[in-house]
Amino acid sequence: MGLIDRFFSNKPNAPSTDTGSAAAARQRLQFVLVHDRAEIPPATLNLIKDDIIAVLSRRIRIDREHVSVQLTYTENESRLVVDIPLLTEALSDAPGRARGSSARPATAPRPSSR
Amino acid sequence: MAGTVITITSGKGGVGKTTTTANIGTALALLGQKVVVFDGDVGLRNLDIVMGLENRVVYDVIDFVEGRCRLRQALVRDKRAAPGELYLLPTAQTRDKSAINPRQMVEVCEELRRDVDYILIDSPAGIEQGFQNALAPADRVFVVTNPEVSSIRDADRVIGLIEARGKGPAQLIINRLSPARVKKQEMLSVQDIVEVLATEVIGIVPEDEAILSSSNRGVPVVLNGKTPAAQAFQDIARRVLGQDVPVVEPQSLSWWQKLLGIS
Repeated sequence: MGLIDRFFSNKPNAPSTDTGSAAAARQRLQFVLVHDRAEIPPATLNLIKDDIIAVLSRRIRIDREHVSVQLTYTENESRLVVDIPLLTEALSDAPGRARGSSARPATAPRPSSR
Repeated sequence: MAGTVITITSGKGGVGKTTTTANIGTALALLGQKVVVFDGDVGLRNLDIVMGLENRVVYDVIDFVEGRCRLRQALVRDKRAAPGELYLLPTAQTRDKSAINPRQMVEVCEELRRDVDYILIDSPAGIEQGFQNALAPADRVFVVTNPEVSSIRDADRVIGLIEARGKGPAQLIINRLSPARVKKQEMLSVQDIVEVLATEVIGIVPEDEAILSSSNRGVPVVLNGKTPAAQAFQDIARRVLGQDVPVVEPQSLSWWQKLLGIS
């Protein structure tokens, strides 16, 4: 620290030394509290994720890299949110089924009646 | 190898036991020691989040005690503290103090002792079972206090209990000292505290705003070196290793010392 800096940093702590650590604290706390409240540690969630991938992969093709298994906590309710992108080919062996690129079952086109 | 168990306690909560444990443990590893920091606060664990290792906890000491894992599996390696080796032994967040007893604490430490140089136990506040658990395996006890009447009173009580259990003499860490406020006679000095407690001081840690951002980020201050508290914790670690580092009361800098860069 130079002479000039030292002179002007008379305050106990220059704000520049601490930029953004409150944001880090908020993010880390949110994560750890949601796990504490649900009594499900992050490591267990990873095991659950592996299990889900294993079970689904026996039946359908999924994009393993982008599977997300997360805990959320809103309005006094803990919720396990699982998002599983399907590979496009996942629906291809069902004849008549449209090959939509959409991965979510809810939005997948229904089989035509032809 | 027969490692040394150091228990860090205080009586009063919120005086900085966990920060002290994390930083002395990390500082010892930075000095080349093999160290385990052991969270003694069953049900209110915090050493993991203060050290930034909360996402890596798989098993904890209660899992080991109840036979669900081997002790090694419960240890979380912290690779930031080279050249030594640093491990966190977490505790359970969803259990209470009765999940482990003093005899089991001693057994856990006996097993760890064979492989490491130092085991630092972060004691819970209070003088009940959690404190008794943390004290049982101790070879040395550090009592953390702030220059503030309630924590000094509690430290006095705890120092007495440590003596009574044959674990004394305790050594004192005075945390969050503000030299400027001592100078203005707004705060008890080190001398005042030592006169009251008649206990050897092993470290004086100045108030340091870097501590808050360090726990915000989960990076103990000793990992990035140079702040006043970081230097104080490094000095304590050297004293633990038996190096001759005199304990001196930090002085507040006058405006011309700041100007000239003397520290």
